Amino acid sequence: MTDAANSGRVGADRPPVILYEEVVKRYGGFVALNGVSARVHQGEVVCLIGPSGSGKSTLLRCTNALEAIEGGRIVFEGQTLPTPALAAPVRRRMGMVFQNFELFPHKSALENVAIGPRTVLGTAKAEAEEKAQALLVKVGLADKAASYPSELSGGQQQRVAIARALAMEPEVMLFDEPTSALDPETVGEVLNVMKRLAEEGMTMIVVTHEMTFARRVGSWVVVFDKGRVVEEGVPKQVFEQPREQRTRDFFSHLSWSG
Amino acid sequence: MTYDWSVIWQYRGALLSGVGTTILLSVLTMAIALPGGVLVMLMRRSPIAPVSWLGAAYVEFFRNVPAILLVYWTFYVLPIVAAIDIPPFTTGLLALALSVTAYNAEAFRAGVGSIRQGQWNAGLALGMTRSQTFLKIVLPQAVSRVVPAIANNWVSLFKNTSLVSVIAVGDLAYNAMQIRSQTYRILEVLTALAVIYWALGFPQAKFVDWLQKRYGVKE
Repeated sequence: MTDAANSGRVGADRPPVILYEEVVKRYGGFVALNGVSARVHQGEVVCLIGPSGSGKSTLLRCTNALEAIEGGRIVFEGQTLPTPALAAPVRRRMGMVFQNFELFPHKSALENVAIGPRTVLGTAKAEAEEKAQALLVKVGLADKAASYPSELSGGQQQRVAIARALAMEPEVMLFDEPTSALDPETVGEVLNVMKRLAEEGMTMIVVTHEMTFARRVGSWVVVFDKGRVVEEGVPKQVFEQPREQRTRDFFSHLSWSG
Repeated sequence: MTYDWSVIWQYRGALLSGVGTTILLSVLTMAIALPGGVLVMLMRRSPIAPVSWLGAAYVEFFRNVPAILLVYWTFYVLPIVAAIDIPPFTTGLLALALSVTAYNAEAFRAGVGSIRQGQWNAGLALGMTRSQTFLKIVLPQAVSRVVPAIANNWVSLFKNTSLVSVIAVGDLAYNAMQIRSQTYRILEVLTALAVIYWALGFPQAKFVDWLQKRYGVKE
């Protein structure tokens, strides 16, 4: 990637927060990531889009070393990412939101949000819960602190999950298809919370099929296909004047024209 | 044929004392076999191969040997091998605990295995270590899921304590047999024995069902 190609990117005047260099990931014989290079700058909302199985979620799980990579490297804040077994100190600096929420079903909403600081940072219970309550207010769930995940709607669960990740005061937020498992009517409330985070300057990597979100909130879009980056650019360019045929193919498959 | 149910009342002291021993033996056995089961389950899940084999070998050995043989073995063979005198109650407790530990380990293992990878990832993504994730996230959910299986083991154990009667531990079964041999009232004594075991076991099973309903984790 040339410097010219990055000009106009948010935060491009400083070294990237996350740098992917020729990242390779295989599952047995299947090559999930086939030499992916990309970068994420401070304050950017980088949206990863592309067909299912194109490697974007895999890249996200490699970003916080939930999965090991077989080739290339990932650099976070100037440090090469360690292997999964040694990655706990790095992971606490990144928040992650999952497609299926993955709230802890045996904990209340408040406990879900407080458990990270309590367990990982050793924060005192009262302090952690006070902060957790403030975060629940932030995601619009002040009245659900005592509720258990099974008592919440999908959209509410995902907002608790965002609060849970924010409780660790991460430098980067990773979103893995955060609205794909939601009922259509609750997608908006989750996207609104994410939009507000973006406006606050949070650095975000978002794997998404919500093209409207990528277009309106994203500051940089990366298009994946078959484990490779096909194209990247500002949303306006990628959505309105895609350079690559495969990008155009992907967009053409999104709209149903039965 | 005439029945003489008065023998049951007449020997109520011995029966009550037997009930006490049976309950004590069950409680102590489970008190060992619950942490024991977690320990053996952890061994089986260990990434260190020899530790994992040892855990597997433990389970497969104690699951596949008749409990009564373990009772005899700890009573007759262990004191010779260990060259120490062990009272019958202790050898009975040991035999039962070894056996129930194997069953509990398998129940816990199934429970831990049923927790999906996403829950591990959610804990790890917060910066928890694997052991923190296991203790705070996975194990509590796993334990809650296997309450019915553990309850089953408990009810089996409660009845299987009768096996220690063969080594003259004064449990309910042993004392009942003593009464039978003194009174020759076999029908009355055995019927009373069945009624007492059932009357004690049934509420326990129901109580654990209730616990599960009340405190079980909802997905």
